[in-house]
Amino acid sequence: MGDRKQARDTEFQSFVIGRWPRLMRTAFLLTGEQHAAEDLVQSTLEQVYVAWRRVGSADDPEAYVRRVMINAHARRHRRRLKEFLAPRDDSNLVREVADTGDRIAQADDRSALLKALAQLPPRQREAVVLRYWEDLTETQTAEAMGCSVGTVKSNAAKGIAKLRAIPGLTEMVAEGGRK
Amino acid sequence: MSADQENLDMTHRDITLLLAGAADEVEIGIAPYQAVIRGGRRRRARRWAIAAATTLVLAGSTGATLALAGLPGEGGNRVAPAATQPASPEARHVYVPQRTTLATGIDQGKKWRVHIDVWGVPRDETEARLQLDAMRRSGERPPVRQASDLVGKTSYFVGRSVGDGKSSTIMFNTVKKVEPMSAGDSQFAAVPLDPGTSGPDRLVVGQVAKSTEQVTCTWKDGTTSVVHRVPGYDVNGDQGVIRPAAGSPQNWFVCLGPKGTGSKSVGVPK
Repeated sequence: MGDRKQARDTEFQSFVIGRWPRLMRTAFLLTGEQHAAEDLVQSTLEQVYVAWRRVGSADDPEAYVRRVMINAHARRHRRRLKEFLAPRDDSNLVREVADTGDRIAQADDRSALLKALAQLPPRQREAVVLRYWEDLTETQTAEAMGCSVGTVKSNAAKGIAKLRAIPGLTEMVAEGGRK
Repeated sequence: MSADQENLDMTHRDITLLLAGAADEVEIGIAPYQAVIRGGRRRRARRWAIAAATTLVLAGSTGATLALAGLPGEGGNRVAPAATQPASPEARHVYVPQRTTLATGIDQGKKWRVHIDVWGVPRDETEARLQLDAMRRSGERPPVRQASDLVGKTSYFVGRSVGDGKSSTIMFNTVKKVEPMSAGDSQFAAVPLDPGTSGPDRLVVGQVAKSTEQVTCTWKDGTTSVVHRVPGYDVNGDQGVIRPAAGSPQNWFVCLGPKGTGSKSVGVPK
């Protein structure tokens, strides 16, 4: 009994260490913020730990983890969605257009993309991140989001359309990103 | 996968590349395995505790709710059951909010103050209309389209003022039910202290669970400010603290960073 528990703990530890980087990247795209991403991944893994006996022996623990993370993200967002921050007046800030190839410009591009992602409704953001970053199929995305394939299609399409509608992003996309 | 689907995916490869670039921005760090285990065990214990409490309630009589409402030790913020709520809208703070000063101090010779207004729940459209009028007179704009959207909901506004300037709202919300926060949870906003300036974001205001004992605000210059929980509502001095706010089920904290630097992160122990 003790040995089995020890083995499960070791298995969970290697799962956490192995998946942490990938989960952090996904969470970062979902939340747009370093600490929020860490929180999201940590609380996801805590929930996975509670169910590890079942999850660890399942065929696809990844699918379970994704589902937990998306649920946690949606729950947090439901709470945060109604948390309105008073808009800041950034109208006096001048945005400079930098040369392509410039490191600062690359950072700007990424931050523009993160900002654009953050502006998407959470379900559209989840669909875009799972489909185009996690590279899941529509069926896998639907399982992770707990919705139908049709809903995934429509959320992903709307999300992508909105991303492409942002002028800065259109330029980036046209250049394939400023690599 | 259909041909159309494949074409569709190919056309979005650029988005995939951009997402990959953006995802690389995150600092990965070391997986906090021990913290995950601690948090997982806490969750498991909480689940058992909830299961045990549910069993107790099911086994008990219908007087259970009243018995719980009478439990001491939670301060004045426990929401009373509907049957014991005061009847008049005035007593329920529908037209005049409960105001708590969360922090105050002097910065560069100017006095600053952060406060929260918590508005009671209007029960019908008439109360809601009068509440919306009162909010507007106070310069507070709830996130609703019409007065009737306020029915059955509580609203709060956190504002700051510097010198003789007008109060400026930092964060606000109108909700049916405030979801309880767990240990380690926080919701905060970082803004410039003076609403008339564009930065840096030195003022951090947020809410945490009642059980949170301390919050650490880390600033971009590498320094930190640690605020601790205090039991009462009195504001003494300009040291940041975690305190209850009248009408709010969460505790609130305020950190003010050193001059010239902004907020980097907020840490709440679990």
